[in-house]
Amino acid sequence: MNLKSYLNLYELLQNDISTKEERRAFGLSHIIDNKPIDQLMSWMQTHVKKLQSPLLSETFPSYLYGVTMTLVIATFVLGIVSGLALLSYNGHEPVNVVYFMAIVIFLPLFTMILTLMSMLKAHRSKSVLVHLSPAYWIESMMKLLPNTIQENIVTLKINPLLSNWIIIKRSQFIALFFSLGLLLALLAVVATKDIAFAWSTTLQVTPEVFYKYLNVLAVPWREFVPTAVPSLELIEQSQYFRLGDKLSEEMIDNASKLGEWWKFLLFSTLFYALFLRFIMYLISALGYRYALKKSFMSLEGVNSLLHDMNEPIISTHASREESISYIPNKDIQGIRKLDTSYDVVQGWAMPLTQLSVLNDSMQVISPNIFEVGGGNTLEEDSEIVHKSDGEVLLYVKAWEPPTMDFLDYLDELMQSVDKVIIYPVGTQDESYQAKERLVDIWVRKLSLVDSKKLWVKL
Amino acid sequence: MGEIMMKTHPRFAVVGHPNKGKSSIVSALALDDTVQISDIPGTTSKKRSFPLKVDGKILYELIDTPGFQRARRVLAWLEKHDVPADKKFEVVQMFVSEHRDDPRFNDEIELLEPIMDGAGIIYIVDGSKPYGEEYEAEMEVLRWTGQPSMALINHIEEADYSLEWKRALGQYFKMVRTFNPMTINLAQHVSILESMAQLKEEWIAPVKASIKLFEQYQEQKLEESSQAITKLLYDALSHVEELSMQSDEASEEEKERIEENYKEYLRNLEIDTQKKIENIWNHGHLQKKQTLLTFEDLDLFSEESASVFGLTRIELLITGATSGAVTGAGIDLLFAGHTLLLGGTIGALVGGIGAYFGFNELSEIKVMGQVLGKRYLQMGPMKNRNFSYIVLGRAIFHTSSVANRSHAIRSVAALTMDNRFKETWLDDDLKTSLEKYHKKFRSNNEIASETLKDYEILIKSIVSKSIGN
Repeated sequence: MNLKSYLNLYELLQNDISTKEERRAFGLSHIIDNKPIDQLMSWMQTHVKKLQSPLLSETFPSYLYGVTMTLVIATFVLGIVSGLALLSYNGHEPVNVVYFMAIVIFLPLFTMILTLMSMLKAHRSKSVLVHLSPAYWIESMMKLLPNTIQENIVTLKINPLLSNWIIIKRSQFIALFFSLGLLLALLAVVATKDIAFAWSTTLQVTPEVFYKYLNVLAVPWREFVPTAVPSLELIEQSQYFRLGDKLSEEMIDNASKLGEWWKFLLFSTLFYALFLRFIMYLISALGYRYALKKSFMSLEGVNSLLHDMNEPIISTHASREESISYIPNKDIQGIRKLDTSYDVVQGWAMPLTQLSVLNDSMQVISPNIFEVGGGNTLEEDSEIVHKSDGEVLLYVKAWEPPTMDFLDYLDELMQSVDKVIIYPVGTQDESYQAKERLVDIWVRKLSLVDSKKLWVKL
Repeated sequence: MGEIMMKTHPRFAVVGHPNKGKSSIVSALALDDTVQISDIPGTTSKKRSFPLKVDGKILYELIDTPGFQRARRVLAWLEKHDVPADKKFEVVQMFVSEHRDDPRFNDEIELLEPIMDGAGIIYIVDGSKPYGEEYEAEMEVLRWTGQPSMALINHIEEADYSLEWKRALGQYFKMVRTFNPMTINLAQHVSILESMAQLKEEWIAPVKASIKLFEQYQEQKLEESSQAITKLLYDALSHVEELSMQSDEASEEEKERIEENYKEYLRNLEIDTQKKIENIWNHGHLQKKQTLLTFEDLDLFSEESASVFGLTRIELLITGATSGAVTGAGIDLLFAGHTLLLGGTIGALVGGIGAYFGFNELSEIKVMGQVLGKRYLQMGPMKNRNFSYIVLGRAIFHTSSVANRSHAIRSVAALTMDNRFKETWLDDDLKTSLEKYHKKFRSNNEIASETLKDYEILIKSIVSKSIGN
């Protein structure tokens, strides 16, 4: 896994190019137990061709490379220039080693402590320590230059943890080249000039104390290269005081020995500015790999992608949409009040006993009362139709919506009689009073029957 | 291959008289709110299949069918054929073949076809209305098919005629169950599926496997809902709204605009999450009536309403203090108790006081980015501690209402939360646990995916409890 795969996955998830079903199909064919990163990598590699050029994984690393190389070259040159400036020797005054030590020992140690602290705070989206890095600021300024970056990079939102580690890693790389510039300057100056080194400080430091101090600094190499540790004698001989218009006689007598300091400076540069910086670079590379892995798994959409790939798709819904035909509202002939008598009273799926009760309740009388539908056969119903004439009051159960069986019967009945009044009634518990909603259902269905003989009791 | 698959899994045709709740029952059992449910008879004119599929493989299938329209005529046709019991199935098959193109029997053919293909019969009646003789023709037709069958007594209204229905149905069906699709829960759902499995011996294993999957499906929905709520809380608390400034000083109009944009973002976040959760629970067509997330003085952030939606000032003070004390306790631990637990005390005080005074504020508006002449206003992340409980309470309430709503219900859902709801899911220990995460979300720091996962687990337990699993 590298930055390229992170960016490819980022872009694929941003574009959300696959359906849940496709993801599950992929998950079923790429079962990788407890290795989600491997599964994500396989998915990314399979789908990356669906992305449109230019890919973020091409533009962003190329932009990063461009910025990094520019900064590397710039700091390398700065290192050489700084080295040359620090070691500039005009032949009159010796070169103060303390300046050079400050740049190759103390500055690296200080920046490395800051780096270690920024590593600990790298999870913060706005880490002040990371923002102190020159790489961050130079890059921020470069972003403002026209045409330096492509549009898709502007919208890129890298996980803060990863972007912090990118800056930390690159800062170490850039600092490494600054140190290389210093080393090159030191070697070049030492090889081409005869430099008299001296040490000078405003602080009350005796040569003995300075010697002890340098011995501590030289711990990493003093056992292997004892000549790269200045002797007390050399330190005493090379102490320099700015007051006075001449060099001390002792210094002039030992001029050939003063150049011995270069070995100490060389090893200081090699150890503090280069070796330790390289260690920091390796640590930052490890941190970067950790951040990459972490960020890979925290990309927005990764959890749902893993979920979709590894959880079975369970569905219960219908596979096709339902087509519905609604009954339009039409007018129908209605009556509000029943007559007191009818030629025939019929009840659809109602027993005769119930019909008698209904007639009593509605104060209706009739010489002919019949049960139709229900348990009757079709022949029995036809017989009743033949026996019916004049005005027919037909009770129906309001709660049982009209079926085609009923409409067939009604059609047959209307051919034999003058008038049919359909009366939807409620249950006995409702005192035969039908609910308006149920009556409405009957009215809507009966309105489809186009006949002047048909009436509904409303 | 497809043909073979069709015949190996259990199939159940839901049949009956028109308007007896067949579609409601299918809707509830299939967790599908797209089924057309209407008072108007004949709403269902074509059979419709609702398969339980796992990765495309059908485990069982429910088939919604139109109601019987001319049952007496069908029965009359069948009875013309005087055949022994073992040949009755063939007569029905003959009826289907002969009348396939007869528009008069469209509905009967639609409902008989799946039965003749081997589907079990689930016959639906309305137990809130009296039994009638007119049902006998259709029950007789179903008996002619010889297919395994059961009857479900639905209760559309309150009146109860189940006893007379049970007596009648017992004559025709080997199993009679009562079932209300409007109040169905997971246990009732599973129980009905278990009954369906009993219809045929070879269906027991696949339907039992389906029951397990159904439970897994419920778990999946819980997980997805918890993910959505976690994202809502994290996004709402950590969101930072930015607005470019026209001049060096921010105008009142710009301040108002950024505040409105910030609130609008939070509102939309909640709306989108609710929609997502409704889709997770297959309630994509839900019509609801609820109060939007508003920020007016007398609304969510008043002491009165906060006691409904979020925490009261006192509750917030205690939670802030507890959470502060937890941080302070870390300091005590670091110094091995040499601070005489002062860390905990100071942490509690600072946390509590901060919570108390931050009660009515959302977040401050800051002028940011004075780099290279570019200035912008910034609002967020959320500073108000109560806001997290308001949003979370609303999300939990919405999720539990949606999850517990039967798919057979088509009325507008009134999602109105009252005082008691908070007491059902939020206790002091939970407040402390939640505050730990909410504090991190508000910190504007990168949150580790493990932290979000832990929060999601906590939310899942709350949602699960609130749904009643």
